[in-house]
Amino acid sequence: MSFSHPQSRQTEDADALRGLVDPKQGWLDRSIFWDPAIYAVELERIFARSWIFVAHDTQVPNVGDFLTTYVGEDAVIVSRARDNKVHVFINSCSHRGNRVCFAEAGTARRFTCNFHGWSYGLDGALSGVTAEHLYKNNPTFDRKKLGLHKARVESYGGMHFANFDPDAPSLADYLGDFRWYLDIILDNDEGGIEFIDGNIKSRLKCNWKFPAENFIGDAYHATWTHSSALLALFGKVPEMHADRSYQVNANGHGWEFGTDFVGNAATLCEPEIVDYLRESEAMFQERLGKTRSRMVGSLSSATVFPNLSFLAGHNTFRTWNPKGPTETELHTWVFLNRNAPDALKEKYRRGVMLTFSPAGVFEMDDGENFEHCTASNAGVVTRRRKLHTGLGLGSEIDHPELKGHVHQNQINEANHRAFYQRWVDLMTAPIWADVPAR
Amino acid sequence: MDSSNTVEATVDAPLVDRDLAYAIEQFLYREARLLDGERYEEWLELMAEDIHYWMPGIQARYRADKVAKISLSRMAYFDDDLDYLRKRVERARQTTAWAEDPPTRHFHMVTNIEVQPTERPNEWTVHSLVFNLRHRNEAEQLELTARRRDLIRQEATGVLKIARRFIQLQQTVLQAKNINTFL
Ligand code: FES
Ligand SMILES: [Fe+2]
Repeated sequence: MSFSHPQSRQTEDADALRGLVDPKQGWLDRSIFWDPAIYAVELERIFARSWIFVAHDTQVPNVGDFLTTYVGEDAVIVSRARDNKVHVFINSCSHRGNRVCFAEAGTARRFTCNFHGWSYGLDGALSGVTAEHLYKNNPTFDRKKLGLHKARVESYGGMHFANFDPDAPSLADYLGDFRWYLDIILDNDEGGIEFIDGNIKSRLKCNWKFPAENFIGDAYHATWTHSSALLALFGKVPEMHADRSYQVNANGHGWEFGTDFVGNAATLCEPEIVDYLRESEAMFQERLGKTRSRMVGSLSSATVFPNLSFLAGHNTFRTWNPKGPTETELHTWVFLNRNAPDALKEKYRRGVMLTFSPAGVFEMDDGENFEHCTASNAGVVTRRRKLHTGLGLGSEIDHPELKGHVHQNQINEANHRAFYQRWVDLMTAPIWADVPAR
Repeated sequence: MDSSNTVEATVDAPLVDRDLAYAIEQFLYREARLLDGERYEEWLELMAEDIHYWMPGIQARYRADKVAKISLSRMAYFDDDLDYLRKRVERARQTTAWAEDPPTRHFHMVTNIEVQPTERPNEWTVHSLVFNLRHRNEAEQLELTARRRDLIRQEATGVLKIARRFIQLQQTVLQAKNINTFL
């Protein structure tokens, strides 16, 4: 299958893409995890048009603070400029295209290119040109047009997202009802959250969607894949209760969860964390109501479409950055409530390291799965059969309180299907106006 | 730890006794062989009760940046005491540790061992380099290189133990899906 450049795309391309996933019945064509042509469309239509998480406010607290990361495969600089706002722009010089910033984080007054010395302000504007008199009376040289390519930046609860599509909806509309769920971690305390210093990065030889879908709804794998970690830490695997657990999703973002309050938090093996949550339960209830307060640290996982995942209770955020159809760069952070006692910071930092970092006892077994789910698709015959993602068909319920689409039982693939619904919506929509709210 | 350069600068330390250097070298080689053989319980026996086993995340920052390139308050791959190390071993020992079966073929090469005296007569700072290869399944080959700084202690019984291990991974982006080994 081949897909032309989006500008010249013909309708057969959209039809072909629609044939790849059946979100109603739960069938996925394996080529979406393998085909470079499909991947190229993903970069254009998903990553270059969606709101992509780039930084939490506390990672760039002061004017001049910056970090470098990726929006799809586009390298970007995230920097706090003199207007005290967070700006995001492409990390590639407007002159010959050299990378402008090579540090992963730091503090700067400007970003200067190593090649010929053009420099850019903290907001990405072109601020200095070496021997500028050489450009005098040059008809095409216009400083104002030669700044670094800027993204739209909007934030929710201190989480900054970037978007390179001027026609994309606001971040608020993009998140939709999922904001109500994000508040469970971003706003269970009036101080909000902060990120702990440092960001562990690692490469997995897998398609980016395997981990993204894993976090959006794969409670099913938890007790099987992670049996070794659960047995090592607790001597048994936890029970999930169909009648007291759910999957919820909105606009392709989703959260699978139990209502056990501290299930995830307990696996960090730091009892003080569970104590803190229990002591704060009244505050959580007051801010979030009883139902949502039970999700603050419960057995759960979630993904904000397309590639921001998190674990409530474990207090880790991560992004799955595409590096080709069969490679992903994982960025992992630890967060906690800013008002939580200082000693707790250390507990979360060590707890996440033991469990959900690349050397962590849980994470260890995930990478192996994601890589082999990807690699097996090298086989042409292998790719002829579709993958079954139909667990929990017909499990949608009406819930008096929970927003978005609600499915009974966290052991379900309803959120996977919602993820691929959003995926195919975006992949086939020429403009954002054609993307339905889900 | 010097913030601008994570490689230790002490090059003028007096030489230690040849027999001692030899004993410590042999100790580290044997340790590597225990790891190659996944003899983790025996490996844990080499750790002092107060072991701090630390492999921090490394950041690529500019030379002029005054912020430390590594820090104890930052995220790490390992920042373990004996209890944490035991938990990791306990996981690897489960029959459901899927990522360990079939077993990884481990290769730990230790070299550039330098033994330096400390203020205590029974403790030495030991620098070394590790080259680690993990071969898995059909063609997987994962490569890790690290610079180590250990504090090796001779206990009253005469036995050598690792009291501190600082492992400076050379990759800022880990080129592997996991670290199912110890360095
Ligand atoms: S490429 Fe940046 S100044 Fe020429
Ligand atoms: Fe997992």
